[in-house]
Amino acid sequence: MNTLLLLVIIPLLIALTGLFSRAARWLPRVAAGLMLVQLPVVIWLVLPVLSQSGSVATNLGIDGIGAAFLVITTLVATAAFCQAAWLLPAERPDEPLITDKRFTMFYTLTGLFIIAMYGVLLAQNLGYMWIAMEATTLISATLIHYHRTRKALEATWKYLLLCSVGIAFALLGTIMIVAAQHTIPGEGTMHLDTLMQRAAQCDPRLLRLGFILCLLGYGTKAGIFPLHNWLPDAHSEAPAPVSAMLSGALLNCALVAIWRLSQLMHAAGQDHLVSQLLVPAGAITVIAAALMLIRQHDLKRMWAYSSVEHVGILLLAIGIRAGPLFILHALNHSLVKVALFLLAGSILHLYGSKSLRKLKGLVVVAPVWGGLLLAGSFAIAGSPPFGTFISEWLILRDTITAHEYLAAGVVVTGLAITTIAVINHVARVVFGKAPTRVLERPHKSWALVPAVLLLFSLVAGLAVTPPVISLLTKLAQVGGIAQ
Amino acid sequence: MDYSWLDILAASAALLGVWMCGVIRIRTLLAGLALQVAAMAGITLYIGLVTHVTHFLILAVVVLLVKAIAIPWYLAWAAKQLETREDRGVTVAPTLTMIIGLAILATCYFGASFIAVPSLGNVGAAGMAAALVLLGMLLMIGRRLAISQVIGFLMMENGIFLYGLTQTPGMPMLVEMGVIFDVLVGVLVSGLVIFRLNRSFEHIDVTQFRGLRH
Repeated sequence: MNTLLLLVIIPLLIALTGLFSRAARWLPRVAAGLMLVQLPVVIWLVLPVLSQSGSVATNLGIDGIGAAFLVITTLVATAAFCQAAWLLPAERPDEPLITDKRFTMFYTLTGLFIIAMYGVLLAQNLGYMWIAMEATTLISATLIHYHRTRKALEATWKYLLLCSVGIAFALLGTIMIVAAQHTIPGEGTMHLDTLMQRAAQCDPRLLRLGFILCLLGYGTKAGIFPLHNWLPDAHSEAPAPVSAMLSGALLNCALVAIWRLSQLMHAAGQDHLVSQLLVPAGAITVIAAALMLIRQHDLKRMWAYSSVEHVGILLLAIGIRAGPLFILHALNHSLVKVALFLLAGSILHLYGSKSLRKLKGLVVVAPVWGGLLLAGSFAIAGSPPFGTFISEWLILRDTITAHEYLAAGVVVTGLAITTIAVINHVARVVFGKAPTRVLERPHKSWALVPAVLLLFSLVAGLAVTPPVISLLTKLAQVGGIAQ
Repeated sequence: MDYSWLDILAASAALLGVWMCGVIRIRTLLAGLALQVAAMAGITLYIGLVTHVTHFLILAVVVLLVKAIAIPWYLAWAAKQLETREDRGVTVAPTLTMIIGLAILATCYFGASFIAVPSLGNVGAAGMAAALVLLGMLLMIGRRLAISQVIGFLMMENGIFLYGLTQTPGMPMLVEMGVIFDVLVGVLVSGLVIFRLNRSFEHIDVTQFRGLRH
């Protein structure tokens, strides 16, 4: 139990401090500092996973995949908190609606949001996983609404309703998986570990139906086409640090849920169904997102659609059972996308608009930001030498080795369209005629977090060697620490 | 006629669902919802009495208190504050929705064995559970006001609860409680958002929200 308690101490501390509106002045910096401590703490806590091979039989525990995503989630949250320490206080003078109380409440909810995401990753019980996932929806819905504009409110409602309904199907699916165990004497279980051992003896029809319903539910949360409808609205209307966490951490949580269920189906000998559903769904999501990226008017909306595209690629990785590549690409996508959302937040603050029509000449106004935005867009489009290139390349290679030629072809087309669309939009923002005046001088320090993240992505691209892949392969397989 | 109490209660919950598809007044909708949840609590109690497992008795009490009393009461209070009395539906008239609902109920009645667990002997209830999920969706699609959509969602949730109750030997208590807690918080949060929607837009008609369309 100790490890799990240590994991949540810092987020809980931030959440509790947020209850005091007097903390408004110093809380952003303190929270960022605390999260910078949290990151090494999490890495230290999950490291033992690599030396374990036992199974996790209890309800909450860290397995290999959980460990990898705990680190990614914490990294994303740390980056978001660091940028928030600069961005949110700078925005406050223009937003009279955000009182001290509402401002510190934001930190309370963000702390709880992180804990809920940890809950999804730690859950080794389908029921707990569902509860934590619904909790992430409820908490993050209130975060999207932070700016208190009409559009943000509308996006909040859409997100709350669509994701709750979607995830209700996942609950029905989870119950069906329990009901599928009627062929085995005794009560049904929700423990993943026990389920894996029993999977082969379960009623295949109910198990398959349960998996499909869970995919529908968690797929809504992950933003699979055509269930992605809420995603661009929520991710673009939320404040930048929240957009970063929604895109870089929450989507991963939903995908981890799908990964766990596909592992269960693998144990039941239903691999065919998984690949039959996930591979086309992934490919269609990629191409649909690519086509929607062509016509974009809004910088943050563009990154949101790009997230949908990467969810498609990750789904494909799950579909062909490429566990290590799923982790690798999720890490690469999170690094770059968080950098881009945080940059978009800064640019939004500088220009007072996120409409692509009004954003011009960034390279003149803020040369460092402009350079980073350009580098980040090349990275998100999957260009070498960034990490996204190598993980997309490996996923495509494995797709072809799995004889999914059509899916590979569709994804390559989608990636090509995305690259052209994204670079085209971003080039207009970076170059073009600069506005005669902007709201204020750009702060050099605001470029720090995105720059570090892009550097990580660069390192992740250059570091992919056979030992790293074998490490990731081990992570995707190990049972982990039972707590 | 050897129908058990369980079947009668499940069928009446589903019939209530069909009836609710045709109801216009919000307060009546909420009364229907409360009755439906009461039927769920009744089924839980019945199973508890038959199997002699205390877990079901506790669950029945919690369901009754939270989902049959607290949630409908909160939503009725919200509706009163918002001064919304009626929801006349989107394009399909509520009476027509009711007929679609009947068709759904019939389909689920005959298709029940597809999703039922035969060894537990509650095949009919599985069909009613599926019908409740679909009727809840129908209500959500067919209505204009944000508050009616919450009611539709709760009806879906009732269907899922009924399925879990009748098609498994019993879900873990902690999971059941977690789900009920999530539903409660979900209703509170959506109530809060509805109040804010009403303040910003001066209505809660979801078909009129156009800000995010391109």
